[in-house]
Amino acid sequence: MSIQESLKIVPKGEIALLEWDHIGERANKLSTPIMIRLKEILEDLKKSSYKAVVIVSKKPKIFIAGADIEEIKNLKSKEDFRFAVESGQGIMNAIEDLPIPVIAAIHGACVGGGCELILACDHRIASDDKTTKIGLPEVKLGIIPGFGGCVRLPRVVGVMNALDIILAGKTVPAVKALKIGLVDAVVHPSILESEALKLAEKVIKEGGKKRRKSFSGKNLQEKLMNSVLLPMVYSGAKKQVMSQSHGHYPAPLEALDVVKKSHGKSREKALAIECVGFCNVAGGEVSRNLVSLFFMMENVKKRTGVADASVKPREVDHIAVLGAGTMGGGIAYVAADNGVHVRMKDITTDAISKGYQAAARVWDKLLKKRRITKYEKIEKMSFVTGGLDYAGFKSMDVVIEAIVENMEIKKKVIAETYQQCSPDVIIATNTSSLSVTEMAEAHPRPENFVGMHFFNPVDKMPLVEVIRGPKTSDEATATIFELSKKMGKTPIVVKDGVGFLVNRLLIPYLIEAAFFLQEGMDIQKVDDVFVKKFGMPMGPFHLMDEVGIDVCVKVSKIFKKSLGERLQLPDALVKLEDSHRLGKKNFKGFYKYDSRGKKQEVDSTIYAELGLGTPTNPLSDDDLIGRAMYNMINEAALVLVEEKIVDTAEEVDLGMIMGTGFPPFRGGLLKYADSVGTEKMVDSLELYAKKYGLRFKPSNPLRNMAKTHRTFYS
Amino acid sequence: MSKAANDVVIVDGVRTPFAKAGTVLQDVHAAELGQIALQELIARTNLDVKTVEEVIIGCVGNPADAVNIGRVVALRAGIPQNVSAHTVHRNCASALESIATGYNMIKAGSAEVVVAGGTENMSQAPLMFGKKMTDLFAKLQFSKTTGAKLAALMQFRPSFLAPRVSIVEALTDPFVGINMGMTAEILAKEFGISRLEQDQFALQSHLHAVEATKNGLLSQEMTPVYIGPDYKKVLDKDNGPRDGQTLEALQKLKPYFDRRTGTVTVGNACPLTDGAAMVLLMSRARAEAQGYKPLARIRSYAFAGLEPERMGLGPAYAAPLALKKAGLDFKQIDLIELNEAFAAQVLACRKALASVQWCQEKLGLSSAVGEIDLARLNVNGGAIAIGHPVGATGTRLVLTLAKEMKRRGMQFGLATLGIGGGQGGAMIVENEG
Repeated sequence: MSIQESLKIVPKGEIALLEWDHIGERANKLSTPIMIRLKEILEDLKKSSYKAVVIVSKKPKIFIAGADIEEIKNLKSKEDFRFAVESGQGIMNAIEDLPIPVIAAIHGACVGGGCELILACDHRIASDDKTTKIGLPEVKLGIIPGFGGCVRLPRVVGVMNALDIILAGKTVPAVKALKIGLVDAVVHPSILESEALKLAEKVIKEGGKKRRKSFSGKNLQEKLMNSVLLPMVYSGAKKQVMSQSHGHYPAPLEALDVVKKSHGKSREKALAIECVGFCNVAGGEVSRNLVSLFFMMENVKKRTGVADASVKPREVDHIAVLGAGTMGGGIAYVAADNGVHVRMKDITTDAISKGYQAAARVWDKLLKKRRITKYEKIEKMSFVTGGLDYAGFKSMDVVIEAIVENMEIKKKVIAETYQQCSPDVIIATNTSSLSVTEMAEAHPRPENFVGMHFFNPVDKMPLVEVIRGPKTSDEATATIFELSKKMGKTPIVVKDGVGFLVNRLLIPYLIEAAFFLQEGMDIQKVDDVFVKKFGMPMGPFHLMDEVGIDVCVKVSKIFKKSLGERLQLPDALVKLEDSHRLGKKNFKGFYKYDSRGKKQEVDSTIYAELGLGTPTNPLSDDDLIGRAMYNMINEAALVLVEEKIVDTAEEVDLGMIMGTGFPPFRGGLLKYADSVGTEKMVDSLELYAKKYGLRFKPSNPLRNMAKTHRTFYS
Repeated sequence: MSKAANDVVIVDGVRTPFAKAGTVLQDVHAAELGQIALQELIARTNLDVKTVEEVIIGCVGNPADAVNIGRVVALRAGIPQNVSAHTVHRNCASALESIATGYNMIKAGSAEVVVAGGTENMSQAPLMFGKKMTDLFAKLQFSKTTGAKLAALMQFRPSFLAPRVSIVEALTDPFVGINMGMTAEILAKEFGISRLEQDQFALQSHLHAVEATKNGLLSQEMTPVYIGPDYKKVLDKDNGPRDGQTLEALQKLKPYFDRRTGTVTVGNACPLTDGAAMVLLMSRARAEAQGYKPLARIRSYAFAGLEPERMGLGPAYAAPLALKKAGLDFKQIDLIELNEAFAAQVLACRKALASVQWCQEKLGLSSAVGEIDLARLNVNGGAIAIGHPVGATGTRLVLTLAKEMKRRGMQFGLATLGIGGGQGGAMIVENEG
């Protein structure tokens, strides 16, 4: 019954108003039951005396959010996929083939299958609301549009605009959709339905004809780009995809191929090509990994960070940040950018200036790219204030400490800050290397003390580790978890422990790179292997330059104290400490930098400086990847199974993807581990341990998994 | 006077540092100056912004892109959208008018929490096209054909581009057509105030202001301005007061307005200035309920009119009126802030108030109001040194006065100023201890 009600026809004279409101769901989705119901309605419409159809959604922010990804996840065989695609294509064809014109009135998210549905309609009219976004994000899940999107979008907006959307998995706002001809008109949301009905009446009056919009190009350039110059368009698109993905993502390439092959073909042939293309990528490892990442992200949205569902996070509108340095300024930016009032406190006006600068710089860039308007910049900037004293702290919901990494100073400042705030204030520390448990001693109410670890650069790195000390309350944890989300970040809850989750795993990886260097590897070659071959966003040496070589050495030494023989410091790393090479911040690291801080080639004087000869590259690519990755995985087994820093393998993977840019197509560190297999890994680690040192000794939990043939995810 | 629940109290106040026009604050919009002062006021008082009922901002040269600048300041500072805000204009006393309006609202019982203040960026006063050029633009816009457009363009003469300078027009009296400086010249001549007296007074202004800056008194009422768009500079004190100012240097300046027989120079007049000031007003009942310890209570205010060409004498008319309303005698006033638009005008006010004849003739009193003790006047310097951002000065005077009364433990204070167009404004405040 509810399915009947979710999709129903409301008669409006000669017009059938098709109201879409999936009962019991937040979003309208093209799930199987809905598709069956839609088919039924289309059959009815075919037989009816209506002269036009208008499709509207009754959801406040969603038109149609696409296919049901849960269903896609459960499809296994090629046959399953073919069947799903063909039935979807069939329904879109049925819309297109209705004898009467169909008008889509689009308000809210209209993506994936939703976008493919409107492409099968005769007319499209959209609301100018901010929530209206139209596009085909399929490639983000490792698949391609399969309900005719690869075929119809190029026909409606031209090949170039279509590739721009399909290959990047983009959605466009209403104004852009109008500009490229994806919709025919844009109106205020309050009159969307009435305007769509008016349009239907007009179409009926003019004979009720069907319409097939086909792109012809507004000017000569567009016409040429959509005809004789197409080969150029295709090769340009391919080049761009390859430069961004290094070929690790098959879906955009497949989509490009489908668009190319199906262009100019009959509908039937074109859709058959699309179906084959879809089945080529769907269900593949990359797609499965991207789909599972999607669900991890969805889970974060739903969760509160604590097990007890009755715990309510506090509403946070005003925060203070202690310390307006790189991290403090970055935190101020993300807070203000997301509508949270933020007050920076530091000890000099110059320091506060730096905080303002850090925030303004990012907005200025966005302003230049026209991603925000000047009014938005002024408004966002007005959310940032600064002061040398504790003015306003009585009104703060949360104070985030981002001062110098020194336990004594931090404790002193936390105690002092507490005195200036309302008694139930939550104080969070952005420490990356100190014990949250020990720091909590400074807060008279340690249940309101928690870690909130942002990654550098804060505006770009999506992860926040919410570190729960032994005394941290559920409420404080949930509040910081929710605040992280409000600030546009992806939080994971971790227990206190050296380096928490991400740095604990990342530091051994960076140290291993220093071993590579010491053993005669070329810096550029190592970085290339990890970027181009493995898919990391930057290689380990480049990353050390970004983080600061001094910071890496300092943190490594702290780790060494806790991790003992599992962590060894190569001489090369120790020597680096005295080298005045700090990385990007002093324009001198593994790489050279120009006067504006842009990375240049490897600084080859570093080899001699560290007493190393010309690189001989004795290690194979597989050895490099194996040593670096297995090392991390070995540590991850301890972190997850023995120390229970996080609860699930998913959280390790989400942390690594969001915190280090670990390649999403690999699904995360532990998904990658499972693809290798725990047994093979233990064997390799034992070999490495003999050859390179005890740090590779397989950890007990990893050994146990191998022995019992279990994986991280099983 | 006993305390009453509907007394209007000043909870606290904050201003930006003032900067001479064309210097560090020239690119900071007046709305942003106001926003910065108000945000700091909100922070210092830990004010629950939802309780604010009205925001009243004075501004003389309302920027074209923020015509009700009060509303712009309020929303940018984080005051909720459902709180109303307006802008008031009484020329140089606009920011005294804003406090007076807030006072009235609270006294009338129509509000309990009001933000009042003022903001001005005189650097950004625009140049305007003259009538001929404006007409030409209009013709161009309405010409439909290229021919008509060309015909319109043919009428263009380079002289059309001569701008109207809004700041000059604003500082010219609209009734008698003389510059504000000339009104000071009139007072200097009529009251026999010599060049030396004016320069000595100007020197005192600088000496006082420099001292109050150095010993940090003025910074107590200020919050730094971090200067966009790149935020590389910070202004954390007034840039007008000149350390090392000498009488000799002031004496060397040529008269600026009346070059032949005049005595008013740029040295003994206030500079064009950018800045903003805000105060938080509450009924006593509300302030007490929220646990505030207010700075001062407003006892009375008054505005009075006089000849436009003698506008600088305004305080001599307004102050006695305000005293009368407060039921106080001039002798009871412990501390005075009298705005220094021009040294000549301040000294003329002093002479007038001390003159039996003047007070009888002009105010209809039987005796003189009293002589202003220079040791109690503008003790931390005045507009000659600190500057006079016209839309913000009224609030600055009240704020500086109330803070100093608190420091000195004095009971009654007078803040007063002359108003272009021929008016005077005055406000009497009482220390809340």
